[in-house]
Amino acid sequence: MLKAGWKRAFFGLSLAAICLLIAFPILWILLTSLRPASEVFYVHRGTHFTLRNFLEVLAKPEIKRSFFNSGLIATLATILSLQVTITSGYMLSRFRGRMANTWFGLIYLFRAIPYIAWVLPLYVVEQSLGILDSYWGLLLPHMSVHICFFSWLMKGFFDGIDPDMEFAAQIDGCSRWGAFLKIALPQAVPGIAALAILTWLWTWNEFLFALILTGSRTPMLTVTMAQFVHELGIEWNLMSATAVMALAPAILVTLFAQEYVVKGLRV
Amino acid sequence: MKAARAHARFGERERFMLALILPAVLILISFQIIPILIGANASFRVYPLFHPTKTWVGLTNYIRILTDPLFYGTVLPNTFLFMTCSVTGGLVAGLSLAMMLNRPFRGARLVRTVILLPLMIAPVVAAIMITWMFNDQFGIVNVVWQALGFEPVVWFLYRWTSMAIVVLTDIWLWTPWFTIILLAGLQSIPIEPREAAMIDGAGPWLIFWKVTLPLLRPVLMVCIVIRSIDAFRVFDIVWVITKGEPFRSTEVFSIYAYKQAFIYLNFDQGSAAAIIGAIIIMIVGGVLYWGLSRLLEVSR
Repeated sequence: MLKAGWKRAFFGLSLAAICLLIAFPILWILLTSLRPASEVFYVHRGTHFTLRNFLEVLAKPEIKRSFFNSGLIATLATILSLQVTITSGYMLSRFRGRMANTWFGLIYLFRAIPYIAWVLPLYVVEQSLGILDSYWGLLLPHMSVHICFFSWLMKGFFDGIDPDMEFAAQIDGCSRWGAFLKIALPQAVPGIAALAILTWLWTWNEFLFALILTGSRTPMLTVTMAQFVHELGIEWNLMSATAVMALAPAILVTLFAQEYVVKGLRV
Repeated sequence: MKAARAHARFGERERFMLALILPAVLILISFQIIPILIGANASFRVYPLFHPTKTWVGLTNYIRILTDPLFYGTVLPNTFLFMTCSVTGGLVAGLSLAMMLNRPFRGARLVRTVILLPLMIAPVVAAIMITWMFNDQFGIVNVVWQALGFEPVVWFLYRWTSMAIVVLTDIWLWTPWFTIILLAGLQSIPIEPREAAMIDGAGPWLIFWKVTLPLLRPVLMVCIVIRSIDAFRVFDIVWVITKGEPFRSTEVFSIYAYKQAFIYLNFDQGSAAAIIGAIIIMIVGGVLYWGLSRLLEVSR
């Protein structure tokens, strides 16, 4: 009895320690963001807290624009990507044969190819097309990544839905499109929600495309922050405030939508 | 007759299939396949980023990259070191956490929330947090370090401390992913073999090694292959934390290719490096998959 109690205490304590270790970097940046500029270098001492850093950061036009652009691109990319990944996932789930196998293989192949191998030349392509540093120039590459990463996830969601209803509907005279749109799609809504959340966060968090494909006309949040570290790295209070605001969607999702996210994390 | 067969092969069903994937195929072709072909073409030519002459030079760029001591002496070893350490670290941490969480207890939801957090966070933001914590003058790590009685360390002045910090950041970011997937794996394997082993008097370690782990191998295999492929192309955290410094000693393959193209403006050599990397990861991924599935067969 005593031994079991000790064991439980040990288990609880080690779990608490692990959680603290995992959460510490986030807590620390949060604490830093609340310190006034004069005390930011001694975060562990002193008791002054302020929200001025956030106001100061939001007053910078470039940062405001970065937030706006990142939010806009993430939202648009989510809406557009869902259309193409849902249909492609449905096709992978419901059909067998050479076309389905080829498509599946292609997606897996491009899932493995390093981004840099196609984003480098994409710079030259977009430059000649005149869409470099524009919304479309960033949206479309994002969509192509989403196709590779999320088609097979969507396939998994459709695999979990019994196709018999669709067959029945087709026998009753419903077209293939009708069966897909009216029968399969409504049942897949939880899966689609999970996918939408993952796609949005994925795009919001993305760095390499934004670094290569955008410039001063469409600043993106992650790139602005990375420059911030190297150029204005001394103003850690402002840096932290920006980082905390960039973190906010991630924290909101983890708090309020974790069931969806966990569902979306199958391999 | 022939026409009828062709019609059967590409009938209404096939048209529907094609219509479902057509937009995705078009996007994939125009934004991945065509760029890769253009990059491959450029890698065989004299193709600086500005005012390219586009003279065909064959394999010159590839030879230049492959004989660059920085590439084979620093960049490739760094990439493989990063891949191995971060995948192993994430796997061990994730598996331990999954084993701990694989039982009901009070506060499980809170613990899961905390553990999920790093997964949602932008790698760039994670890198910023870590850079601040390891700041040589004001970072909390040095404060604790000094409190323990050591001299303060300029962490980003040395190659191995910088690499270690980058690897730690990646482990922090990806442990939740391993945990969630391995936890799902643990919950889906049958309990009977473990119970049988327990009745036969096997200790918890023996059960873990001989019963749980073999049953978990398919999930482990997929995890390892996917994470290795992703870790190989790491860019963002290295870029923000070290930028490949000090003295380009922490560069990984993606950073090297990026710098060739956009810092030194040799688009041709950057493309060649990117394609070399793509070929390497194809081979590594294939070998990993093959080797791990053999391991799986043998263990059966």
